[in-house]
Amino acid sequence: MLNSLYVEGDSRLHRLPAGPKLLLVLLVSLAVFLTRSPPVLGAGAIAALGLYASTGIGARAGWLRLRPVLLTIAVVALATVLLGSVEEGIVALLRLTTLMLVAAAVTATTTVGAFIDVVSRAARPLERLGLVRADDIGLAVGLVIRFVPEVLSRYDVLKQSHRARGLRLRPTTVLVPLMIQTLKAADEIAAAIDARGIRAHKQPTENQERPT
Amino acid sequence: MSSRDLVLAALFAAIIVALGLLPPIMLGFIPVPITAQSLGVMLAGVVLGARRGTIAVLLVLLLAAIGLPVLSGGRGGLAVFAAPTTGFLIGWVFAAFVTGYLSERFVRSSQGAIAQTAGFFVAAVAGGVVVLYLFGITYLAIVSGLGFEKAFIGSMAFIPGDLVKAGVAALAGRAVMAGYPLLPARA
Amino acid sequence: MDVRFVQAGASFEGRVAVHPSTLSLSERRIGIIGLNGSGKTTFARMINGLVQPSEGLVTVDGLDTASDGDAVRGKVGFIFQNPQNQIILPILREDIELGLRSRRLARSEVQARVDGVLGRFGIAHLADRRVHELSGGELQLAALASVLVTEPALVILDEPTNQLDLRNRRLVQETIDRLEEHVLVISHDLELIETFDRVLLFHEGRILVDGPPDDAIGRYREIAAC
Repeated sequence: MLNSLYVEGDSRLHRLPAGPKLLLVLLVSLAVFLTRSPPVLGAGAIAALGLYASTGIGARAGWLRLRPVLLTIAVVALATVLLGSVEEGIVALLRLTTLMLVAAAVTATTTVGAFIDVVSRAARPLERLGLVRADDIGLAVGLVIRFVPEVLSRYDVLKQSHRARGLRLRPTTVLVPLMIQTLKAADEIAAAIDARGIRAHKQPTENQERPT
Repeated sequence: MSSRDLVLAALFAAIIVALGLLPPIMLGFIPVPITAQSLGVMLAGVVLGARRGTIAVLLVLLLAAIGLPVLSGGRGGLAVFAAPTTGFLIGWVFAAFVTGYLSERFVRSSQGAIAQTAGFFVAAVAGGVVVLYLFGITYLAIVSGLGFEKAFIGSMAFIPGDLVKAGVAALAGRAVMAGYPLLPARA
Repeated sequence: MDVRFVQAGASFEGRVAVHPSTLSLSERRIGIIGLNGSGKTTFARMINGLVQPSEGLVTVDGLDTASDGDAVRGKVGFIFQNPQNQIILPILREDIELGLRSRRLARSEVQARVDGVLGRFGIAHLADRRVHELSGGELQLAALASVLVTEPALVILDEPTNQLDLRNRRLVQETIDRLEEHVLVISHDLELIETFDRVLLFHEGRILVDGPPDDAIGRYREIAAC
């Protein structure tokens, strides 16, 4: 299921609030591109590795979690070596790996809830522009997490009914009913949200105007 | 934004996440597995249109960023955005927008099936291939130091597969429009 | 709890869903029956303002459902047909808390109320469970809890026993019987409403019968037979 990537712990990074941690990732992402020097980048990468280790995630879990990203970084670094130069390849490798490690360290030490709070707070200024309502963000995230298992169940049912009828699974015969059945629930879910006043100060879903 | 639109976007985000958790579906005549999540982005555009489709994709990326393993292969967390392929993730947002915009603009319930499918195909290619690769390749070029041309050559191999996905998205989009049209987006 | 319709009707895209009518609802137990598409659900949604009248006026304790929708919905709870579409956050407790969010209560107060309402329906042990794992009956009770946590004066239930097996059906019936709030139930399940104070029979957007359960049910059987 959807288990968050947060790792329980009490490291210094754990105790830092989410906002500064995100700032840290941003600063590192800029900093790695300010230098082309392999020794400097190498030192940075080692520091980043230390930071990641300090989260308490453990060697095996820590490695498994980063393996997919490391793979793409390695492929690109290799391509850079082949199409460019060895030094360019090493620089690319070190830059991306450093950023990846710092980012992973922040993810491991920040809960989903803390992230949502930070994002919602950051969105409040945008409320005045009419672009987004801060409270809607947490609600939307909750909705997605809530309904992913339902979508997966529906897929299972569709798979079973295909089997029962001796049909092979095809994108159109599976994805189309999956989408339609899932999206049909939207009206009732939205009505339930409005009926409970969860997004109060907004118009209800139906019949918003009284015709003259 | 109406509650209905918010819920539609969230439900579609759930679909995109689920597509990342499901095994690839085989396309009959070509022995190629359709890895579904990037297909999901095109589908968001053709089914929900520009605004809701884009929000659906943004939600998926937000979930990944806050530490949930929602990207295919169980990937998640900020580290995913440190990868050189991040441009393709950022590109998802613009791909969904362009695909959605073109779908809303040019495809109508009143058209015949072939016209609708063709319209959705153009929308899916414009967004899901052209715009997506623009972002993906540009980001890759910058971040790897390879330069645009070499980054392009490296990514070329994936284009045929994505063109097939655009075809699938077009067929699915037409079928959804026939069965449960959500375009044009009503208030 | 005083609901009033003053020549209130609702139309969608040129089609009349509920013909204008004038009536007052204040009984403790009210049932609404009728064939599918007869207008009963639209009528119910006019009471909590989810559907605003195309003509006329609907008031709840003096509040206009069109202009004071939020206040009306604070007094009227609505349980929809599919309980799994009613609980919208992944962990049950969080979803129940959501209903109290706009009230700005202290954390401890919120927790107390949530625990209270869950205990009331015997599902306190499910508070920290994943909603996806709950059974149909448990979901129906959870939906009731999610709506009753805000202490509405009137609760509207749309086909509450629709998808439930016999045991869960009995459970929901008993739960409804014990509710102190005013209750309005839309139901195909005639047993559920046969002891109610008043039953309205809808047919093609009009209220055909408005009175004791036996009258409405009898006429409903006649209509359904032909």
